Amino acid sequence: MSSANPAASPLASPPTSPAVPPSSPSPLSPEALGYRIPSLTYRIFVGGLRMILSFVFFVALPVAALTYVHARGIPIPVSIAAVTGWGIALLVLSAVRYVLKPTIAFGPLSVVLALVFFLYLYYLLSLSPYRLVLPGGTVSVAAGYSLFIEILMVAALVEMLAGFLVTVEDLWSPRERLPFDYPV
Amino acid sequence: MEIPLHRRPPLIYRLARALRWLGILILVALLIFAGTVAYSAYEVAHASIHSESLTGVLVANGAIQIGGSFTLTNPGIYPIEGLVFGAQIANASGVHLVAVNVGPETVEGHSTGLFPILVSLPISASSAAESLLFVDQYLEVRAWANVTYAYMFPLSVALSESRSWGAPFEGFHASVGSPTFTNGSFITPITVGWANHASFVEAGSLAVVVDSSAMVDCGGVTFSMDVHPGELYDQTQYETLNTGCNPSGGFLQITLSIAGSTTSLPPEPIP
Repeated sequence: MSSANPAASPLASPPTSPAVPPSSPSPLSPEALGYRIPSLTYRIFVGGLRMILSFVFFVALPVAALTYVHARGIPIPVSIAAVTGWGIALLVLSAVRYVLKPTIAFGPLSVVLALVFFLYLYYLLSLSPYRLVLPGGTVSVAAGYSLFIEILMVAALVEMLAGFLVTVEDLWSPRERLPFDYPV
Repeated sequence: MEIPLHRRPPLIYRLARALRWLGILILVALLIFAGTVAYSAYEVAHASIHSESLTGVLVANGAIQIGGSFTLTNPGIYPIEGLVFGAQIANASGVHLVAVNVGPETVEGHSTGLFPILVSLPISASSAAESLLFVDQYLEVRAWANVTYAYMFPLSVALSESRSWGAPFEGFHASVGSPTFTNGSFITPITVGWANHASFVEAGSLAVVVDSSAMVDCGGVTFSMDVHPGELYDQTQYETLNTGCNPSGGFLQITLSIAGSTTSLPPEPIP
């Protein structure tokens, strides 16, 4: 990462209030280059909010559903600890990626996030079909969900490819995407 | 140096952005789909499968016909496709009686499917179904079903349970008493009895013919009957035996006529 590159480090990003009036930007200031990166504090705050939302989708809802099923004496297809672990890994990576979006780390983090999501899905795929015996012992059920997970894996692969392209873009021309990610 | 604000993003950036949006779109669409599937499946599970108890009737070709049906209600929005249902019924001794197969069928969303089951069991003396006539028992029912729900979720359900079966002639007995010589003829009492544990009324007649050990017809009697479910039947009639005919060691040939259908029951040996 170059120290002259605003995309190289989040600490190098300017605060949301520019030091110079927008009407007369310095020729090398981000505003003059057509972008304004939110401050690190702001990005951490928003990243935290996103983490809370992600927590609901990746951890709270799945764990609530599994607990509901487990409380009725039905064996669950995946352990609550595994869902919590994978979910926290995903939401932390997602938040960190958001915070580091102005930096060159954004692309590789996008690849890592998609890869972790892909591995999570692969783990779930390995547990299909979901076999259970209903309370009473007379009815057994096997539910397959492989196709659903495989389509989700396609989405993860697409995200991975997008992260790879961002990485290439940042390596090729480090600041080029910033005016479009953070337009003034 | 000032960057024009409305210039077009570079190709790689546009491609990456399009792919990210595509990935997000797939993810969101699948999550919404999964949510609706879960809700629909929850409704289907609550509607559940309703099955009628098995009922049996005697039919004209000397067979007992077991009928029933199950109803599958699908209040959800997704179809239940490729429904294949199979069942095997065994008697209390574990002897396989019959297999049933239904499907493939489809139950569309917001609809109900009714699937009748009708099997016919021959009740000859050597058949596995003979005990269904005379012995109350628990039938071992093993059923399974394969379906595809919401286009992409295959589901297999296996069920194993015992269903009670009430025999229409539970404890059936037919006997010939000792002949007595009266007015120049041998007269013998013939007694039949049973309990109707089936679900249908046994209204008709029961013809009993006494055969000697040499299969000579010694004569016979006909009992009329109107036995409702749960009732006992026990009747005795007196028969004048044909001259020179000795029923000892022979058989009672019993023919049942109910609602116009005639069925021969397995021969009853005479001690």
